[in-house]
This record gives sequence, structure tokens and C-alpha cells, in this order.
Amino acid sequence: MGEIRFMKGNEALAEAAIRAGMQGYFGYPITPQSEVIEYLAAQEPNHDYTLLQAESEVASINMLYGGAAAGARVMTTTSSPGYSLMQEGVSYIACAELPCVVANVARGGPGLGTIQPGQGDYFQAVKGGGHGDYKQIVLAPNSVQEMVDHTILAFDLADKYRTPVLILSDGAIGQMMEKVELPEPVHYKQDKPWATTGKTKDRERNYITSLYIQSDDMEKKNIALQKKFRKIEENEIRYEEYMVDDAEVIITAYGVTSRTSKKIVDLARESGMKMGLHRPITLWPFPADRISELADRDNVKAFLSIEMSAGQMVEDVRLAVNGKKPTYFYGRTGGIIPTPEEVLAYVKEQIG
Amino acid sequence: MPAKGYVEILVDTCKGCGLCVANCPTQCLALKQDDTNVYGYHYSYMADPEKCIACMNCAVMCPDSVITVYKKKS
Repeated sequence: MGEIRFMKGNEALAEAAIRAGMQGYFGYPITPQSEVIEYLAAQEPNHDYTLLQAESEVASINMLYGGAAAGARVMTTTSSPGYSLMQEGVSYIACAELPCVVANVARGGPGLGTIQPGQGDYFQAVKGGGHGDYKQIVLAPNSVQEMVDHTILAFDLADKYRTPVLILSDGAIGQMMEKVELPEPVHYKQDKPWATTGKTKDRERNYITSLYIQSDDMEKKNIALQKKFRKIEENEIRYEEYMVDDAEVIITAYGVTSRTSKKIVDLARESGMKMGLHRPITLWPFPADRISELADRDNVKAFLSIEMSAGQMVEDVRLAVNGKKPTYFYGRTGGIIPTPEEVLAYVKEQIG
Repeated sequence: MPAKGYVEILVDTCKGCGLCVANCPTQCLALKQDDTNVYGYHYSYMADPEKCIACMNCAVMCPDSVITVYKKKS
């Protein structure tokens, strides 16, 4: 049993990064994520990592590129507008096949938006906000405990597949205080023969780039990348389900709305409506096969996607359901979390 | 009636969740709509100090423990 503490989501993420053996953090403060850099700055004297407040999000993602190329476990965190600024760097890192962890504690958008929680960054996170054909693993925690677990998992997945991993959290999870169990610190030993740590006499020089002038070479790189993405799709799909066995209406929700959805399922069952919850934990790779399987069931009548956006994940749910059952959507924007009561009213009116 | 208590709020650690406002039985607390703290949140403040009855609901409710309640000696 690990150490138990009462922590804020952002602090828990920072503590987990330290325990995962993070060697470098490059970030820029932005509400609702600022506690991460604050916590890491306060803890820096006691640990062996480099912390730097960059001059912008663009600089921090490129520092991540450099740190990752040198084989270090590196991380940055930001919130929605900052993550938009990082897109170019994420595309470069994905092409250069470097491991790094980025956390987006999302807020309401578009534009400078609000500082309250939001889920409007789903498209950007999952469909690749940057240019070119790339994918990144996207983890969506829904509790402070998962902020810890997913951070440690993210570092491992990043190293395993040499790919950027995004933790798509939101302002509510980041600001929420809950009990967490912290794992023992990992004694991370760097073992990356591809890293650019200086040429030694016994090997050829290591070369990391995302520039391929020849079309043939670029296509070869793309084929290799796609092969890697298919492998991730095969192995890394994660989801959680709640009372789906006899459900007639299945809610799909991630992050903080999956917690309100659990309450909705309970309230609906009290009033005699059989509801269930399917919660994707990895937004990419998306558990499309599982949703398709649920759509094939005779007892399932409809799907309902609940989000804090104007309808983003619902598109992936529709693709997975593929017209087999009707798919509804309920969302609030601007930093407002849908309440169980208003969703139930919508369900009674639309689905019956 | 004079206030029975005083609510001290650590403005810069308040995240403006509004739980104290919702749980104040006398509507003494409110979120300050015309000012923000360092994070940009509308923090909680004593909008109507006279109404405080020092019940400590706000302090017990606060998830970030930013509230201290002082009871006035009668």
C-alpha cells in the first residue's frame, strides 16, 4: 500500500511525475494548470530534475523535443490555449518518434475562453491538432487518483512506443481535491540506445530528424509510423463500463462528465429506466470495436454522448455505432458541467 | 443585529467553486464578480458581513481549506 494523501488533481499529477522518474519539466503557467509548475518548483530542491519556466508554450514544447532527443523523461503541462500553441512541436515530436508526456488541463474555449473546465479540445487531441498524419496516445483521467495512475502510465507508454502521450484532463479534475494513493517512486534507468547523447567510438552517430526531403523517404517514414499506430490500436485500448449488461440506453462520456454520468445512470435506474455507462479511458486509440459490439446487442436501444462541448466525441461514437442504433448528444459549453437532472429531463423528452 | 463572526478567506488559494456560497445559511458569502485572484478566479468574500452567524458551514465545506471562521465574544 502506497502513501495516502489528500491532494489537488494538478498537485497529484506533479507528484506522480516526480515518482515516475521525470528528469525535465518545461512549462508555462496557465489557469487551471498552474499548480503543476508551482508544486514542481517547490519540490525541486529535494529531487533530481530540471525545471524551467519557458518564455512561452511554443518554447516549452521545443525544449521537450530537445530533452526527449537526449533520452530524458520529459513533461510539460498546459491548458487549452497553450496546447494550441504547442501543436507544431507535437507534430515534429511525433514524426521524430520521441517519447514525451504532455498534460492538457482543458478549459472552456474557443479563443482565450474561460478558466472553468471544458472538453472542447477533443478534436485537437484525438484527430491531431498539428499537421501531417500522426496520432498520439490520449488518456482521459476522471479522478485525482487517475491523474496519478495515468501520469505514470503515460511515461511508460511514451517510452514503449516512442511517441508523445497526451493526458487530456479538465479544469474540474485538476482543481478537485480527493484522497490519493501514491505509488513508490520508480528508479528510472535511462536505456535508450537511439538517444543523441554524444557519439562513442563503438557505434555510428545517432540522428534524429523530422525532415525528409525525398518523397520516397517521407513515404517510408509514414508507412512505418502508421504501422506503429496500428500496433498501438491493437494493444492499448482502455475503457471502463458501469451497468451496461442489461442497459437500454448507453451513455458515453469521458473525464469529469463520466462522473456526472454515473449519477445519471443511478438516478435513471431508480426511476425504472435501464441505463449504462461506457467510458473510454484512451480517447485514441478509441474503443470503437467495443461500442460497435454494444450496438449489436438487442437490448440496447440508443446511445447518448454527454460532453462539455458542442458535440465532438459523439462523432466517433456515431462512426462506431455505424447507424445501427440512434445516437443522441447532450452538451454544455463555456465551462458549465451538465447536471444529472437536466440530462435526465433531456433523456425523458428525446429518448423516452 | 451585529455579526456574530468573521470569515477569513485566503483569496489566492480560492478556486471559486462556490460551495461555501451554496452552503451559507444566511447568504452572507458571495463570489466577487468584479475582481479575481492570481489564478483569475472570482473568489469568495463576505458580501454581507452583518449576516454571519459563525456556524462554520463554509469552513467545513471548503475543499481547499481556505476558510477560517472567527467567533466574536459576546
